[in-house]
Formats: sequence, C-alpha cells, structure tokens
Amino acid sequence: MKYLFILKAVFHSISHRKFSVFTSIFAISAAFAFLAAAGCVSFGLAATAVNSSLAFPLVVGPAGASDTTLVMSTLFNTDKPAGTLDYGFAGKLASDERVSAVFPVARSDSYTGVPITGVESAYINEIANGFEAVESGLKEDDIFGKNGGNCAVIGSKTAAKYEMKVGDTFFGSHGSVGDEDAHLHDFEYRVCAVLKAVNGPEDFAIFTSLRNVWKIHEHGHHEAEHEEHDHGHHEAEHEEHEHHHEHGEESADGKITAVLVKTKNPVFTAALEREYSENGFTSATDTGRTVRKLMSYMNKAEEAAGFFSYGTLFLVLIMVFVTIMTSINERKREMALMRTLGIGRVPVSLMIFLELLLISIAGIVIGTLGGHALLAFCKPAVDFELGINLEPFFFTEIEFRGMIYTIIAGVLLSFAAMVKIYRMNLVEEIAKE
Amino acid sequence: MVLFEKISVKNLTKSFPDTSGKRNVIFENVSFELHQGAVLRLSGASGSGKTTFMNVMSGLIKPDSGSVLFGDTDITQLKESAKDRFRAENIGYIFQTFNLLSPFSVIENVYAPLAFAGKLTGNYKDKALESLKKVEVDEFAAKMPYHLSVGQKQRVAVARVLFAGPPLVFADEPTASLDRNSSELVKKTLLELNKNGTTIVLTSHDPIFDDVKPDVDFNLETGALS
Repeated sequence: MKYLFILKAVFHSISHRKFSVFTSIFAISAAFAFLAAAGCVSFGLAATAVNSSLAFPLVVGPAGASDTTLVMSTLFNTDKPAGTLDYGFAGKLASDERVSAVFPVARSDSYTGVPITGVESAYINEIANGFEAVESGLKEDDIFGKNGGNCAVIGSKTAAKYEMKVGDTFFGSHGSVGDEDAHLHDFEYRVCAVLKAVNGPEDFAIFTSLRNVWKIHEHGHHEAEHEEHDHGHHEAEHEEHEHHHEHGEESADGKITAVLVKTKNPVFTAALEREYSENGFTSATDTGRTVRKLMSYMNKAEEAAGFFSYGTLFLVLIMVFVTIMTSINERKREMALMRTLGIGRVPVSLMIFLELLLISIAGIVIGTLGGHALLAFCKPAVDFELGINLEPFFFTEIEFRGMIYTIIAGVLLSFAAMVKIYRMNLVEEIAKE
Repeated sequence: MVLFEKISVKNLTKSFPDTSGKRNVIFENVSFELHQGAVLRLSGASGSGKTTFMNVMSGLIKPDSGSVLFGDTDITQLKESAKDRFRAENIGYIFQTFNLLSPFSVIENVYAPLAFAGKLTGNYKDKALESLKKVEVDEFAAKMPYHLSVGQKQRVAVARVLFAGPPLVFADEPTASLDRNSSELVKKTLLELNKNGTTIVLTSHDPIFDDVKPDVDFNLETGALS
C-alpha cells in the first residue's frame, strides 16, 4: 500500500508537469533514437561489406585507382571507376594458374541514380541466389547468351523500388552515378530477369552485358564525333564498329573498368595484389583488407556518434535534474504537509528519486523502441540510399552502453536529488519563509 | 488511541536568524503541563509564532533548547524516522490551508498517513467512509481534492483526524475562510473529540471558539501563560 501511494504520487507529479516531462523524455528519446540509427546503419554497412568481400578476394583496376575506389566502384557500385582497362587483360589474368576465375566489369550508365554495370553471365551466376523472374527463352546460367540482346538483370531492391518486371523497358543516363553532365541516350534496356535478394549491394544494382556497355560507349563516341567530324566519314566508321561487335560475345578491344578475381588461396591473393600494383599499368587491392580498413573507419564514426550521443544524454539528464529540483520549490508545501502527517523522509525523497528515474527509463524505452520502429519504417529508403540491408531491430553495443550509462547517471542524479530532499527540513524551511 | 497521562513542555526556546544573521527569538523558556483531554489555546497576532510553536511541539522543527514529553517520550530527542511514526500514530492536524495531498483522492487522503506508516487495518475503507460521512462529505470520497471547495477540504481534514483517532490534535486556524455551517461542524467535531479524551492544541481568531474555555492559554505575543 505504501509503495502504491508513492507511485501514485510520482505519476501525479509527472502528469502535472506535462510539458517539462514531455520535453525531458523527448530529449532522452531523441538521443536513443540516434544511437539506434547509428548502430543499425553501421552494422548493416559492416554486414554488407563482409558478405561482399568474401565473394571476390581481389580487385584489379587501372593504374592510379585507390584501394577504396576499386572496392567501392566494383563491390558496392557506388564510387566512380578511376579509368579503363582492355578487356583482353581479363583473359590474361584468367590464364594465370593462381587464379580460379575472373569477372570483368564495366561501368558507364545509370538509371535514376542506380548504376548499370556491364558484366558477363558468369558474374550473374556467381552472385545470384536464384531469380524472381526470367524472360522465357533465356537460360538462367547464361542470361546474356544468344538471345540476351539489350537484356538488363535487375537487383531485387531496385526492381521493388521502381516496380520493374520482366519485359519492361527503360533508358539509361549516359555517364556514371553522380556525373553532372549525365544525359539520357536512346539505348533501350529490356528487363529480362529479376534477381532474388542476396542481402548485398547487388540488390540495389542493374546489370547488363559488357556487349551493351560497349555498344553504348561506341554510340556515345559517335554522338560526340557528330559534332566535330564530317558526317560521311563518321558513318563509315560507325558501320565498321557495328560490324566488329557483331562478331563474338565480347570484343577483345572493348574497355572494362575492373576485374574481380577469385584466387586459389589467400597467399596467391597477396602475391597477385603486389604484382598488379607494382607493374605501372594496373592497381590491385585485397578486398578483405580494404573492407576491414573501411570498417575500422565506420567503427570510428560509430564511436564518435556514440560519444556525442552519450554527451547529449548526460546534458539532458542534468537538465531533467535541474527541472525537478526547481519543481521541488513549487511542491515544498505539499511535501511539508506529508512530513507533518507523519509520512517519513524516505517515502518523500523516494518520490523524487523515482520521478527522475522514471523519466530516464521512459526516455530510454521510448527512444529505443521508437528509434527502431522509425528505422523499420524508413528501411526501404535507407537501404536504397546506402546500398545496405538494414536490420532495424538489431540492438547494437553502443545502444546497450548508452542504456547502462543513462541508467547509472539517472540513478546517481536521482540519488543526489533524493539526498537533498532527505536532508531538507521542509517544515522549518517554510517556517523561515 | 494510546492516551498520554500528560504532555510536559519544559524550557522550550526557539529562534530564527533574520536576514542580518541576528537571532530572532520566537519564544523562550516556555514550560507548562497538559493533562490528557486538555485544551491548549495559542493566542497572539499573526506572525507571533503560533504555528512555529505547534511545529516545535509536534517535533517537526527542532527547538533551540528544551523538551516536549508525551508521557515518558521526549519527541525532541527522537530520530527523524521515529518522529514520523510518532506523528502518524499520535498526532492529527487541521490547518487553515494546504490540508490535502493533491495526488490522492478524498478517501485516500483520509487514510494516507496510516497507509504510509503501514498501520492500516482490516476494513479501513469503510472506516474512512464513515469518517467522511460524519462531516458530510462522503459523497466526494472518490473525487480529487481540486474538485472540492475550501470548506469541503477542511471537512476532509477533520475526517482524516476522526479516522486516525489520535490522542492529540493540532488545529491551526481550522475555521478561517469557512462558511458558518462548515465552521460549526468543525468546532462540533473538535469538541466531541476532546470530550472523548483527545488533547486539543488550538489557534483561532474565529469568535466561534470564544466559548471554548482552554485549560492553558499561551499568548505568543506577550509570552504570558495562564
């Protein structure tokens, strides 16, 4: 009964200071929502990065490309490629006995910001976890084969976002993602397959054949040449190019932006990385190491976010403490009446303790649940924007740490308030007034 | 109700520092005895220290010196927790204002002090309702204090005293700002309690109490005891 009365008094006091209590709870909640977002996004990025780095241990690109550019422009389809290599280079790499498979990739176009990457059917076989839908007449294990034509294979999240289905057509923008001078061209892609989700950056991509990328590239060249050269001369060249690409699936003089390499063992990965970084024509990176480096930056960013959140939380708790201590003056007479009626110092000070603690706990619970619910609500947009598979209800370490710090700080501040009330002779203070 | 044979006030002194730090003596070396069922009337102008004297006598404020003995128990020497228990079990209060606790309903206000002291027994709700009925506010039992008028609040405070049945009641201007009916009811209840052996400590400027003959009259303004 005694504790029921104490709780009743606490809730009454809270309900009579709605604005300040709401502000306090909101401030704590906001800090926890931020912690939830920072933790989940960081975890999602890390999980995606690890999955991707396991598939292709080595990336080789043109000379001058940094490790990060090589990884981001190939595995994550985000950064712009640093240059081009001859397609023939991929064949040379494939013939190395330390290599088990090579996957040349070429980036040029994008569709409403989604990069379109030129690959071979083998790459699709490597990354695919099956197909949601495939155009009839196409072989799943050779999607860009004979009848591939202007075929585009769509990642699951891209297909969902743009409601793309087999048979749909679209035009790409020439130039890579983020290019200011990107413009629509008249190459029409046809959706020939939709991939099942793989929980990686591939879900947010569009793939087409290398042949299509080269075709667009040639077309782009000719458009430029139109402006500079004689029309008749250009037509002759154009015919020559078209004729050339009709032979064979991939042309030996086509350009690619990187080669994803599978090696027979990690020792070969290190050796190949060294060789292809030091030859002056190419750059190479061990994807595992680069991803670990990226993750360590992400961890630092997460720690920084945590640090600021903890700082904010502490300031908010101080604010709540000051608000409650100020409100004590307003409630002095009522507390004095309680003491007069024989209600002890412990129950009276316990009310203040519980009030501060309840506000802290309400902030933690509302902020954590609200933050994760908000993440679940925003998941489609966040996934697409960051190219990750967000786990909105994953509770991260920085959140747990935040909870523990807040509870400890809340208890300490509540205890300080409780001691202050305990030591006050409320009746005497009023008598003095 | 545990009755005290007598209440002895011995050499009680209390002062407060003023803004310049100088001690302002409220009362000095006050001594008297009250037998159980007596009436002590505290008189004097507003600000003369009547409420302070009550607070010292009930152990809410420590005196500078002196003692207040309830039988053999010196309340000035008790620990805070023991004083709280003592007040909850032995002293009832009726003030001019700030009588009710706003977090609790009318009926909860009646039994709250004993609930906090862990002294509620059996059918306490019926008994609380009975107390409210005696002062004609039982219909407001479930209401919150802010729904009540000043007079109704005062009656609830009286019901709280009736419920606890303490051997000593402090009534500090209990009829101030009350209408005639409420004042009469409060007075009647206090006199009934006194008739049943409850010691009353009363301060009031209300002429309604002029016919109440105190056993001890202490004028805080002049320091005269009679």
